[in-house]
Amino acid sequence: MNARDSNPDARSWRKAYSLALSLFAVEVVLLYLFTIRFS
Amino acid sequence: MNRLDYFVLIATILAIPLYGLWRTRGSASLRQYLKGDASIGWATIGLSVLATQAGPITFLSMPGQAYESGIGFIQNYFGQPLALIVVCVVFVPIYQRLKVYTAYQYLGERFDRKTRLLGAFLFLVQRGIAAGITIYAPAIVLSALLGWRLNLTIWLAGGLVIIYTVVGGTKIVSITQRYQMIVILVGMAIAFAVAIYKLSPDLSFQNTLSVAGKMGKLEAVTFSVDPHKRYTFWSGLIGGFFLALSYFGADQSQVQRYLAGGSLRESRLGLLFNAVVKVPMQFCILLLGAIVFMFYQFEKPPVYFNQPAYERALQNGYASQLTELQKEFDEVFTQKRAAIRVLSTASSNERDAAMNQLRTLEAQASDLRDRTKAVLAQAGVDPKSKESDYVFITFILQQMPHGIVGLLIAVILCATMSATAATLNALGSTTAIDFYRPLIRPNASDHHYVVAAQALTAAWGLIAIGVASFASLVENLIEAGNILGSVFYGSILGLFLAAFFIRRVTGSSAFFAALVAQTLVLVLFATTNIGYLWYNFIGCAAVLIVAPILQQTIFRSAETPAGA
Repeated sequence: MNARDSNPDARSWRKAYSLALSLFAVEVVLLYLFTIRFS
Repeated sequence: MNRLDYFVLIATILAIPLYGLWRTRGSASLRQYLKGDASIGWATIGLSVLATQAGPITFLSMPGQAYESGIGFIQNYFGQPLALIVVCVVFVPIYQRLKVYTAYQYLGERFDRKTRLLGAFLFLVQRGIAAGITIYAPAIVLSALLGWRLNLTIWLAGGLVIIYTVVGGTKIVSITQRYQMIVILVGMAIAFAVAIYKLSPDLSFQNTLSVAGKMGKLEAVTFSVDPHKRYTFWSGLIGGFFLALSYFGADQSQVQRYLAGGSLRESRLGLLFNAVVKVPMQFCILLLGAIVFMFYQFEKPPVYFNQPAYERALQNGYASQLTELQKEFDEVFTQKRAAIRVLSTASSNERDAAMNQLRTLEAQASDLRDRTKAVLAQAGVDPKSKESDYVFITFILQQMPHGIVGLLIAVILCATMSATAATLNALGSTTAIDFYRPLIRPNASDHHYVVAAQALTAAWGLIAIGVASFASLVENLIEAGNILGSVFYGSILGLFLAAFFIRRVTGSSAFFAALVAQTLVLVLFATTNIGYLWYNFIGCAAVLIVAPILQQTIFRSAETPAGA
């Protein structure tokens, strides 16, 4: 484990970014499903 | 609009600035005036960033865009969440650590004064004109439809903004944007609900969406790689990423919003809030446009939504041609309405034939609208704003209940005021901090710079109103605003990315590379027909390629690289 990984603040920000990216991915998937359903 | 509408409108647009002035009463230090104070939390920052980007065009034009071309425009926002995360990781910590007032101060620290001034200058030129367009775009539509005098509308929106932005600085901009954005979101939610309520009872909501989808209005995502397709997942993800990175990372009107917080945490959370809510918000606005489209499949729409222009053409001797087109349009509308009813109840065997008939009728209606536009152009009343910009506002004025009409006009003016306030605040700050302080009065008191920033903010406000007053001389105004941003953003972003990621590049290399890149973009703009979103990428790439080459050749031994 390097110094960056051991920093709890950096770790929690990485989790926050991952969460934001995951939510964005879910949004795109839902929009795609919406497109398939109604086009 | 009746008295209730005017009461709601005036109360809404006045109450928020007055509350802001009360919250920011008392004198402020330079830091407080330009960066707000530590009490500004992530929610205010998030709404402020959202309001700065949205602007009046989002609420006037987006539903009209969906009405005309469907909701595929949503894909243009797909690069934004990724860009915001890059801004959180790379840009924000540096700005916060250096405690800069403007993004361009960082260029001065990393490179030199001339590069800082170049970045600030490119920003001032681009945003100074854009501020005028932000005021003009809704003013031309509102004045045409409500019969208000254009200059009065421009001064109503612009004058109020100048007063409160000059007095309260960054803090008042953040506070007012928070409440203006709440009014905007509530207003749009009500508009959405009323639009659904107004849909024809002949079709269920699900059937309405199905028909809208079959008429090509609900293709939100396409993975097509066809370069002729205007909006795709890929162009939105890549082109949108560079545009959003330039805008959020290097445009002071946004940088100042997220630096207003007391800490790195608040700034980052405010930006991440935007990364999550932007796509759903834009989707709802575009879907509202598709619902308005379906409403007008059962309720006869005007053949041309800019009715004042249409009326002028009637009076200018084109009545017979226009009446003939209107008659044909009415017939097509009646047939189309019947075809939609058939389609909604058709069995799977009959559906293809019903769909083909509907498409044929829709093409005929579109052709009749184009011919009407051509007659209007002949009559010399071809308006400078897009016809689709009049779709949503016509729907508001003709279909919404009184009180809500006033609220929704307030939404458009709140959006104008919040975007303009952020821009004027950034223009005044940049001129004071990047030009006035280092070049004219280097060692004055804190109070002196606050007064200078206030005077410069007021001056930029007057320039914006001046641009708005003369904007009617420019054809294709709204498009011009988008092109203007793309022409300048690429070089500015290139400067910042070179500063962050190419350690060996020094000031002169970056400065001349940015000049080369800007010249290249201007030459391409004048001589080719490239889609304007690409200028962001080309300008940025040119700086990142030319700067290291200049560093390795002409400026090899001239300067010591930063950090070496």
